[in-house]
Amino acid sequence: MPGATLSRWTPSYFAAAVLFLLAAEVLMTLGIGYPAAALQAPETLIVVHFITIGWLSLLMCGALFQFVPVLVAKPIYSNRLPLPALLLILAGLAPLTGSFLQLGGYHSSEPHCFIVASVLLGSGFSLVLWNLGRTLWDARPLTLPARFVTVGLFCVAATVTFGIVFLLAFGGFVTVPFLLDLKAQGVPLHVIAGLGGWLTFTAMGVSHRLLAMFMLSPELDGPATRWTFYLGTLSLALVIAAGTAAIGIGYGLDFALAAACVTGLACLALYGRDVLQLYRKRVRRVIELNSRMASIALINLAAAILLAIACAILGILERHIGALVFLFTFGWLTGLGLAKLYKIAAFVTWLECYGPVLGKTPTPRVQDLVVEPRAIKWFWFYFAAVAIGTLCLLAEASLPFRVAAAAMTVATAGIAFELLRTRRLVNVSDALRLPAGARRPRLFFTFVPG
Amino acid sequence: MTDFVELDVRPTLRAGGEPFGQIMETINSLKPDQGLRLFATFKPAPLFHVLGAQGFTHQEKELGGGEWQVDFIRSGPATHASPPVNDGKGGEWPDPIQEMDNRELDPPEPMVRILAATEKMANGEVLAALLCREPIFLFPELAKRGHAWRGGFEPDGKTYRVLIRVGAAKGKAKGAGA
Repeated sequence: MPGATLSRWTPSYFAAAVLFLLAAEVLMTLGIGYPAAALQAPETLIVVHFITIGWLSLLMCGALFQFVPVLVAKPIYSNRLPLPALLLILAGLAPLTGSFLQLGGYHSSEPHCFIVASVLLGSGFSLVLWNLGRTLWDARPLTLPARFVTVGLFCVAATVTFGIVFLLAFGGFVTVPFLLDLKAQGVPLHVIAGLGGWLTFTAMGVSHRLLAMFMLSPELDGPATRWTFYLGTLSLALVIAAGTAAIGIGYGLDFALAAACVTGLACLALYGRDVLQLYRKRVRRVIELNSRMASIALINLAAAILLAIACAILGILERHIGALVFLFTFGWLTGLGLAKLYKIAAFVTWLECYGPVLGKTPTPRVQDLVVEPRAIKWFWFYFAAVAIGTLCLLAEASLPFRVAAAAMTVATAGIAFELLRTRRLVNVSDALRLPAGARRPRLFFTFVPG
Repeated sequence: MTDFVELDVRPTLRAGGEPFGQIMETINSLKPDQGLRLFATFKPAPLFHVLGAQGFTHQEKELGGGEWQVDFIRSGPATHASPPVNDGKGGEWPDPIQEMDNRELDPPEPMVRILAATEKMANGEVLAALLCREPIFLFPELAKRGHAWRGGFEPDGKTYRVLIRVGAAKGKAKGAGA
């Protein structure tokens, strides 16, 4: 059938993702990981992977299962595979945490942890890639936003591959010198492929379409937007391919990373121009929470980049890399994720519940499922806490940082509670909530007929 | 004095055909100073909306025997380009009884309005709607309700025109979009 149906397991991905975000914020509040511990300390790695796999990757996967079919106007290859993929990834996070604890000397050496984590996470992400990859493959030639997503998927494949090499090397299962070199020097490649390629580049492609859709702006597909894509792809290829090759021939990463930095900044500058156009040329003057809060996330992205440039010029980049990655992860990626989640949750819940009876009986509008004035307070609180948290990290003030992390936790819980109310239709007036023929949405999955 | 290009769709209509594509093709081929003189077996009221949106005014004249001559003259800039119908299989469709411009509505309002309109229409009737993007989530709903559709982007690449024939896919397998 042409068109897109609802993604069955996307609500489960979103629920698991939000729980991991809360868990990571609680860990930060408790003072576990950076800044109390070093950036590459095992405790920090646990928090980082709760955020990057548990929260951001699950959020992105759940969103893509729903959104790739919209981008390519074709149904998803399989509406069933996302469940085993989710279970594998969730199961993989336990031995991954166990592996990091082992590195920290918290429990005795159990090398099988490293293998089990590699197998579970590797197969979980492979299922995600197979499902989304087949959907995209069947939809060639791809539109520009879909091409962004495709490059993002190549990057998650690279990120997971690097991660597995590191795990197996830590566990002592790797003896090949090249792979040992990769483990020793390849962390920047793993981080950039993950945060820059998989999460940011995919978010850029998706945001092009989502911002245009929700603000009624013209779609961007001009030459400048194509250059955003080409330069970004070149930058990521330089990091992943040239970076790996440079380690292989013992050349060091400096040249590959410098070249990637130049093309990456050019890509981001063009993206900034794209986004300004989307906001300026919008038909819709009064915009909803999701577009307003996305703009704050975009400002955080710009701030993180400018701050990084300033630190590099002053020669203090290495000292403040933790603060910069924090701002990038929580101000930009998490901020954008929460903003778009707020809209997507309402939209898919509305479509699931009221789609079958539209036109036949009075139904609420999508906006009747949310109470934006109440939710936006939590979003402002969240962004303020992130800003303060960033300043604390720049000032190397550990204890105030934990207060900021506590505030982030409270704000996230507030947003999560609003999402729950949306899903349960609590905000809809009694008269309209469940007309005859409408089905109350389940919390963790979507009813998809057929 | 406007120079008219004549188009007689009476033979097509008498043969049970759908002349919409032919008319839009002629409209697209008009030079800026040319108008269209159309001959039809009925007063083509739905066309007045479609061409009106493209900046055409019209003057109609009854010829007797139920036949009409309508002169379309370009009087202003087009507000949207011509809609090529994605004319797949499924035979000829009647003219739309309703034209809807949903291009400036927030999602999912276009879908809500289209489904509400189709609920009020009789089987076999056709609804035309202009949208600012392909209505991805609408198609499965149309399929579930047994409606058939044809759609495509106009040459500007920005306006999507969808024609929906109510009840036309009932009894067929799910997803009988043309």
